[in-house]
Amino acid sequence: MMRWRVVKAVATTTFREFWRSPDAVFWTYGFPLMMAVVLGFSFQPAPPPPVPVAVVAGARAGDLAASLRRNDRLLVEVLDAASADTALARGRVALVVRQGEVGVPIVRSDPTRAEADVARLLVEKALAPPSQYPAPVIASEVEDRPGARYIDFLIPGLVGLNLLGAGMWGIGFNLVQLRIQKLLRRLFVTPMRHGEFLFGFLLGRGILVLPEAFAIVLFGHLLWGVPFRGSPFAFLLLVGAGGLAFTGLGCLLASRVRSIEAIAGLMNLFQLPMWLLGGTFFGNERLEGVVRWAAEAMPLTHLNRALRDVILGPAGVVDVLIPATGLLGFAAVCFAVALRMFRWT
Amino acid sequence: MTDPSSEFAIELSGLRKTYRRGKKVTVAVDGLDLAVRRGEVFGLLGPNGAGKTTTVEVCEGLTVPDSGTVRVLGREWRAGRHDELRDRIGVCLQETKFHEKATVREIVQLFAACYVRGRTVDDVLQVVSLQEKAAARESTLSGGQRQRLAVATALVGEPELLFLDEPTTGLDPQSRRQLWDVVRSFKAGGGTVVLTTHYMDEAQQLCDRIAIVDHGKVIALGTPAELITSLGAEHFVEIDVDAFDGRLAAADLARLPDVQKCEIAGARAVLTVGSVHTVVPVLLRTLADRGVELRGLATRHATLEDVFVHLTGRHLREDSR
Repeated sequence: MMRWRVVKAVATTTFREFWRSPDAVFWTYGFPLMMAVVLGFSFQPAPPPPVPVAVVAGARAGDLAASLRRNDRLLVEVLDAASADTALARGRVALVVRQGEVGVPIVRSDPTRAEADVARLLVEKALAPPSQYPAPVIASEVEDRPGARYIDFLIPGLVGLNLLGAGMWGIGFNLVQLRIQKLLRRLFVTPMRHGEFLFGFLLGRGILVLPEAFAIVLFGHLLWGVPFRGSPFAFLLLVGAGGLAFTGLGCLLASRVRSIEAIAGLMNLFQLPMWLLGGTFFGNERLEGVVRWAAEAMPLTHLNRALRDVILGPAGVVDVLIPATGLLGFAAVCFAVALRMFRWT
Repeated sequence: MTDPSSEFAIELSGLRKTYRRGKKVTVAVDGLDLAVRRGEVFGLLGPNGAGKTTTVEVCEGLTVPDSGTVRVLGREWRAGRHDELRDRIGVCLQETKFHEKATVREIVQLFAACYVRGRTVDDVLQVVSLQEKAAARESTLSGGQRQRLAVATALVGEPELLFLDEPTTGLDPQSRRQLWDVVRSFKAGGGTVVLTTHYMDEAQQLCDRIAIVDHGKVIALGTPAELITSLGAEHFVEIDVDAFDGRLAAADLARLPDVQKCEIAGARAVLTVGSVHTVVPVLLRTLADRGVELRGLATRHATLEDVFVHLTGRHLREDSR
């Protein structure tokens, strides 16, 4: 039977220790918010940059360059033949244009580079007289509706990533630190039970996870109009389940380790692949083979997908029950193994 | 399993503990037998690596022995739940780093919450003279204050048995005496203390009985007075002379009345004697008769250090080999 007064004492002490360390608070909670702001502004909807092309100096090169400059999607520079070749080889320009002997401009590009096709189309359009423009066969629309931009994709991922960092580093790293300073050993010789300590510790370290998740969503909404279309209860459920899954993993990794170097290595071993493949910064559905399997095995992948369903779609509690149950199951296994393996000394 | 009527707070029999690192096996405790009576301050004295801390950790339930029986307050650690036994003991480990951002009061409160019964935080802080530091953060405390805080966390559960593992190592004399007062006051309240130390004066000052431990075994056991008496003489006379150079030999000095033993090293001689006042006049006369010039004379009581040297041929503070 867990004694609440012991859990409360551990949670209060743990929370105070954390809260009184401004650097720890910043890196755990301030940094993810800062990252959300920086990434959000970096990926603001904006027209793509102009495509650089080179015109080879020679007879009528000036006229050719002037014609190309009429298209403001092109960035034109006139270079001698050798410099133009070097610029193309180095990737500084997407293609090179020179005046042909029979009066038709000749373009040269590397067909394996995607920007070469775009540059070629832009050059053709710039040099063709308006009378030769083909009649439009499609009409274009600009996709800038809230919910479909990159920032809308990013914000739910950052919530997931923050849960990953706070859970794994906040819990696992600190448990090892307590072991190194022999405080765990000292607590072991009191009548405190393992479960009371771990529960209190998780409570003390994890109490800020929920407000942090809401803060990231709120930032996204206030700064960039990122919508919140699903159920707040579903969001709450996912944050709780995700937080438990990652704290469970943190506990498991820290259950026997006795040095900071070892826990840092273990954390990176599990965290880095999730950073890269967990679907935070780009969708991982288009990955293939083993990498796709690895991505699907990661709890962060399922948490991020479910968070996107709730934040960007109209998902409710029922819609996220499967991923939430999976995350809670993962947490339960991690905690059970961690408690069994836990080394106090 | 509980036997509250037992006169012993701790009974160890045939205790053995080895540590393995790769192929290397280190015997920390090698068939140790010991019984600590209720209400006494019992000292485990020995050099580093003698097996004191391992013995105490077995008693605290921190380390499981390879073999032997361990009974603490009439109970065995292996029997069922440990909470009841842990409620009755207080532990001050050799080294613990508490939460450095927490205040003294908050740290003691954390430990107080673990125990069924116990003293109030203010009461305990008063006992260890830290009431004025109650609101100070752990990181601002001196070494002596930190050590008293560690003792406060051990006392807050109102234990019957207190383990102190080298509690005064590295402390200044004033801090050591403050901790000694805490131990004496705990004993006066009827508590039992098991103290490990390699400070002979500390053991001599505080302990009712002492076990001298070396290479994982008890090599001597008794009150400080009994251990010193076992040397056969309680005093030492040390003389420095110009040179002995054949005018006087160790055997000549050892034959003087009431001298048990004499060792000469260079121009210094150390005589183990029964009583200083009978030996010194005869010694001075002998030196004068042989034409040996006396350059210095000192007398001192035998200590536990002398007992240890007598038993092992080594000093307590030497590093273990």
